[in-house]
Amino acid sequence: MPDHDAHDSQLLKGVLSLALLRLLAERESYGYELVMRLHELGLGEVQDGSVYPALGRLERDGHITSRLVASSSGPARKYYRLSRSGYAEMAHTELAWNSLVRALGPILSRPVPTRPKEAAK
Amino acid sequence: MNQSGLSLMDKLRIELSVQRVDFVLDARVPRVKRRQIRNELRSNLTEAAQQVGVEAAIRQLGDLQALANSYLDLYRGRFDFRAGYRWAIIAYAAIQVLSLAIFFAFSTGVRAGGGHPASYLFWSGFGPFGGNAAAHSFELLLLSPAHILIMAVAFAIGTSYKLILRR
Repeated sequence: MPDHDAHDSQLLKGVLSLALLRLLAERESYGYELVMRLHELGLGEVQDGSVYPALGRLERDGHITSRLVASSSGPARKYYRLSRSGYAEMAHTELAWNSLVRALGPILSRPVPTRPKEAAK
Repeated sequence: MNQSGLSLMDKLRIELSVQRVDFVLDARVPRVKRRQIRNELRSNLTEAAQQVGVEAAIRQLGDLQALANSYLDLYRGRFDFRAGYRWAIIAYAAIQVLSLAIFFAFSTGVRAGGGHPASYLFWSGFGPFGGNAAAHSFELLLLSPAHILIMAVAFAIGTSYKLILRR
């Protein structure tokens, strides 16, 4: 039986950048801290290995900037924060996401007809 | 002083994971970027290991090959030197295989003619094959200027053919 609490990894991949931008808009964070914040917000299946390259992509595209901060518990941490272009990207992606949700709403709210016999197999 | 609170074995396991990712990036991603990736991975893994233990921290990272490939897609340099090395080695092997093929094709006849069928030489003439028609001899050259030239061309093609194909 499918786990209804688990999120589709492909869907997550598509909105991971938006989630990261949103979290970074709240406050500056480093990679592992962002993973923890995502987990606390219910996205427990997001792996560290997908967050770090996503941060790299956002930084390459100029949406976030980084700085190294010495850590007392180990190697220096790389903190990320949103750039001006990051705020614009976040607003643009949020609009796109909301528009998609609005478009999908009427489709998903339509009643599903009785399943034909062939589909039940 | 051990500030991270991790054992030597934990640190070694973290370093091994970092190096496994770095190995895929070697000669493909610019050095400075590779160092940044290594440092960030090391820092995040150390942090995670302190919270959940080193085993869980590495597991949370997911498939290391997939992670390395993501970094590779993101930061791939203009030239793929690893592919260049591979092409150069393949070119060298191809020359030697061809030399052996020529040797086997002619040795019987040359032996019948009383000549010296073949010898191995290092840096004799331009190459890639050597020999003396008058003495009915064929030389398998281990290395020659022609070898170097062909390998250099293969290396150049190997490092940049993807760049050219992308255009």
